[in-house]
Amino acid sequence: MKKGNRSFGKILMALMIVFFYLPILYMVIFSFNEGKSLTSFTGFSLRWYKHMLESQDMMEALYTTFGIALLATFVSTIVGTISAIGLSKSKKIIRNLMEQVNNLPMMNPEIVTAIGFMLLFITFKVEKGYVTMLLAHIAFCIPYVMLSVMPKIRSLDPNLADAAMDLGATPWQALTKVIVPEITPGIVSGALIAFTMSVDDFIISYFVTGSGVKNLSIMVYTMSKRVNPSINAISTLVVVIITVALVIINVAPMILAKREKKTEMAKRKIFVPALAAVCIIALVIGIFNIGGKGSSLPYEGQTLYVYNWGEYTGENLIAMFEEQTGATVVMENFDSNEQMYIKVANGEAYDILVPSDYMIQRLMQEDLLQPLDHSRLDCMDNLVEAVVGLPYDTDNSYSIPYFWGTVGIVYDKTKVDVEDLEKEGFNIFLDEKYKGDIYLYDSERDSFMMALKALGYSMNTEDQDEINEAYDWLVQCVETMEPEIVTDEIIDNMAQGRKALGLIYSGDATYVMSENEDMGFYLPEDGTNQWSDAMVIPKNAKNPELAHEFINFVTSYEGAYDNSSYVGYTSANQEVMDELSGEGGDYEGIDAYIPRTDNEKDEVFVYNENTRKIISNLWSKVKIAASNAR
Amino acid sequence: MKKFSQLAIPYIIWAALMLILPMALIAIYSITEPGNSIISFSVTLEHYAKFFTDPDFLLILWRSLLIAVKTTVICLLIGYPVAYFIARSSERAQNILVMCITIPMWINMLVRTYAWIGLLSEGGPIQQLLSLIGLGDVELLYTEGAVLLGMVYNFLPFMILQINTALCKMDHHLLEAAADLGAHPVQTFWKVTFPLSLPGVINGITLVFLPAVSSFFIPKLLGGGQYFLIGNMIENQFITVGEWNFGSAVSMIMAVIMMLLMMLVRKVEKRNSGGKEE
Repeated sequence: MKKGNRSFGKILMALMIVFFYLPILYMVIFSFNEGKSLTSFTGFSLRWYKHMLESQDMMEALYTTFGIALLATFVSTIVGTISAIGLSKSKKIIRNLMEQVNNLPMMNPEIVTAIGFMLLFITFKVEKGYVTMLLAHIAFCIPYVMLSVMPKIRSLDPNLADAAMDLGATPWQALTKVIVPEITPGIVSGALIAFTMSVDDFIISYFVTGSGVKNLSIMVYTMSKRVNPSINAISTLVVVIITVALVIINVAPMILAKREKKTEMAKRKIFVPALAAVCIIALVIGIFNIGGKGSSLPYEGQTLYVYNWGEYTGENLIAMFEEQTGATVVMENFDSNEQMYIKVANGEAYDILVPSDYMIQRLMQEDLLQPLDHSRLDCMDNLVEAVVGLPYDTDNSYSIPYFWGTVGIVYDKTKVDVEDLEKEGFNIFLDEKYKGDIYLYDSERDSFMMALKALGYSMNTEDQDEINEAYDWLVQCVETMEPEIVTDEIIDNMAQGRKALGLIYSGDATYVMSENEDMGFYLPEDGTNQWSDAMVIPKNAKNPELAHEFINFVTSYEGAYDNSSYVGYTSANQEVMDELSGEGGDYEGIDAYIPRTDNEKDEVFVYNENTRKIISNLWSKVKIAASNAR
Repeated sequence: MKKFSQLAIPYIIWAALMLILPMALIAIYSITEPGNSIISFSVTLEHYAKFFTDPDFLLILWRSLLIAVKTTVICLLIGYPVAYFIARSSERAQNILVMCITIPMWINMLVRTYAWIGLLSEGGPIQQLLSLIGLGDVELLYTEGAVLLGMVYNFLPFMILQINTALCKMDHHLLEAAADLGAHPVQTFWKVTFPLSLPGVINGITLVFLPAVSSFFIPKLLGGGQYFLIGNMIENQFITVGEWNFGSAVSMIMAVIMMLLMMLVRKVEKRNSGGKEE
């Protein structure tokens, strides 16, 4: 019986280890994959490591993660220990009260704590960024340190400090020479917990960050929509760093034990390896953090904060701009206009935003933008006529176009009958023939656009009944069709032919079609959204001068070509657009690249505060209905 | 001696600012209208009413609690035997095993969750394995099962470590005493070991249940955009919808539910360990 138990335990442990390490191993293996796939290994290569090392964003995320973790651990360990000692000598009522308060971050769902911090920083107008992230991390780490130090203090003889002072020690000496050494194990385990919590944190960091400061978690969260094996590469690097640190912590005491006497060792057992580990990590970070060297470029040392859509910039655009100007670009990405708006409206400072038409209108209405200085701009002649002087900004005094296009249906020619599309238009998303085989796009405006157009209404309707009808249409869709609601995930998934149909932006369709010949793009005759995204400079921009420079660069042939050829969206630069769609161009023969301009039913979004609110609420209810339907 | 008590004063101020004030702000937001300044506001319970009168919202809450309970139960069922086995092995093995379970926690949670996407996706290794036994068509990624797996994977270490700590603290002479007095090993387990490990179990449950109920990136990464839990709903209110007052109300509701549940759990613990020391 006992033997049976043992082997059962061993099998269980083996299974556990496999369970815990399989994903990590899988990640390590695929970080060396030559191809982009996460499922088939096509050959050994280091290209994702190269990609990672070249990506400023990723290295900075690594630096931020460990930098914040080390600082937060350091501060919270010291403050936590001192406060715990202080509290242990305080009145019982204060002690109990503080214990309850400390329970707040530990016993609250993390998202509630996170929102609390966010509201705190916004209410008191603290600019969100590295400092706020650090403060929040310190705040949630201290209670854990105190929790681990407190029991050790309690088990101390309360007269210890008195005895030391009777023997002539100053209070400081009594503290550092008598009390602290006695509770060191508690302090060390507290510091370890703090470090773990900080390195692992996502939710709190996500809500309190700003100014483009990202830690590893935030980076993975924003990047995970597209297949990106460099995430595997950077994860492998983290595994290596952690392993090296652990080996040092565990091996160093053994080596020391051989050399030194036991009493000596007890003291150093913890400090030396911990110190060594910290040094190693700092060193590793330091190596990666050595930046470019200075020269005499016009914007040397200045920083440009850009807030743009995810997957919306060319591969080399930023690097080229930085090389030309000497400035550093910090880019943050958003998923929707609404997400961007909330941050900007709450006073976060960016130099460049790239919102869509109706959002530009809103930002103008609410006086959040500054007029462009056209004497600084040399791009007006390069632009495609169709996107210049649009109704929301007739003389382009606030905005310069970035990309433009339509919203249509991407479909797998081998699975979808074109006749169905022609007959049904957007109503194909209610055709149960394609149940379980469709993607919806997580955009409130364009989902409602689809529904309203399918019903034959204007997408700018303010009629409550029409909007409700569209809501019912969408609910019917999510309840009967089992759609997946995605954002940028649609790009790689459709390129791999995972589903038959999807609502998609024309630019993403261009990319999908250039990757997979079986894919087609269809624009319903009932009309669609003719959109354009443009660069604007918010009122609170810190470096409008550099922002103008950026606008010039993005619209120049060089910048626009890199942008459009990499991303697939239609360039606002006429020359680039012609070249890419023309003979020998990247997108020759792909109809999605040239937006439709000759259908009278196509519309441009107009901003209306009231409808926006209604639609916003209804869309989140559609998503809830989708979730509950499963 | 009294001097030392002054060491706590800075922290009391800090805690008031960084721990109590944020909660107070959420509470204030949850009962006010948008656009009000902090100085002049009118109180409303409209946001709470909006939540409690909408069956869809309540269903989301229910489903979030349900999946958190499922996660906790699975973690307990797997975690207890593992922790028990670790506690019974030699000290050297114990250290190594505990280390093995801790290391993944230092590799970022998002990264670990991301790793599962490849494993679970179409044509991935797990699906290929399943197709060997004729289950090739089973969809793995973007299902509730995937979300559950992701949660168990991320939170199981907390459970194991907490129970293990409790089991290691246990006085082994008690087991010998029980055996000497003629108790069957199974009896010993239920009458001695399990009750003594209960504080660890409770801590483990807390540490698994809390993050499971409010997680929003695991559902998003492994469940897809159409998989919505209460955490996603709160995120959505703050990040894209922009109705912070309603979002705050939902946060408050969640915080209160959690607090009540935790108090309940603590009470059960107290009753079970009643009469014993510590």
